[in-house]
Amino acid sequence: MAELEHKVRGVDHAAFPTFDPAGTVRFYRDVLGFPVVHSICAAGWGPEDHPDFIHFFFDIGNDDRIAFFYYFGLEPQHAHARGDVYAGFGPEVPEFFVRSRHLAIHVEDDADLLEYRRRLDDSEWPVEMQIQHETIESIYTHDPNGYMVEFTRAMRPVTPQEDLDADLTIDALLDVVAEPDPSFGKLLARKAELIVERAADWEPARS
Amino acid sequence: MTALYVLDVPENTSVAKVAGEDATVTVNKIGPYFEITAEGPIVIDRRATGCRHAVWYSCVAGVGGGRITQHDKDALRVDPA
Repeated sequence: MAELEHKVRGVDHAAFPTFDPAGTVRFYRDVLGFPVVHSICAAGWGPEDHPDFIHFFFDIGNDDRIAFFYYFGLEPQHAHARGDVYAGFGPEVPEFFVRSRHLAIHVEDDADLLEYRRRLDDSEWPVEMQIQHETIESIYTHDPNGYMVEFTRAMRPVTPQEDLDADLTIDALLDVVAEPDPSFGKLLARKAELIVERAADWEPARS
Repeated sequence: MTALYVLDVPENTSVAKVAGEDATVTVNKIGPYFEITAEGPIVIDRRATGCRHAVWYSCVAGVGGGRITQHDKDALRVDPA
């Protein structure tokens, strides 16, 4: 497969609706200290009775941004207690699934992670979990809109062999999901075959 | 032959080390992976590895010639097919 030049430059913005602009500004600007860097005041127009709205942006570092839409006069779009203002879930939906979609914001090191932990713990939105995963450590809370927000730091640099491992995992996954009844066991068996085929000749890319 | 593959990264080295303490188990390298093999089962005690749970439950890269019959807070066991 031909290599496609990788030209993108990170997240311009990730956008979410809000029904609580005051809480949203308190959380992102006043508690976390994310500067407001852009906003659009737009009169509703178009064929769908689009409401008037404010589209506002916070800097999340690296010139990346998180953005919100506040629509004047719009009522909440669902009545579920679980989930966030965009998507609600009934009691039949497992918690791991509800939590699976979230935004993770990168911080440089342990000291910075603890600094954001301190800011959140002093606010209405204290940290709910602090977890050391495989190679990253994260804190989690939910913003005033119910969106789960993670802050994470790397516990060590990613090694070159992890890139190989990721490639083999994805190739094994594509093979397994192309067949009926994919399972973790089938993935590990297929990945073992790929390791035998490809790992011995692997050399770290020279940077 | 049962084969368990574990990526050689700092979090995983104790998994291969503990596996190799069993005289019936052989530990080699294939590229950046530990290749842990045995004629019979491969059993690794989690507490002996010192791995925290997130590492423990994601340390397996591949399984050849057998299947995982136990992977819990106590042990990882691979039995021959």
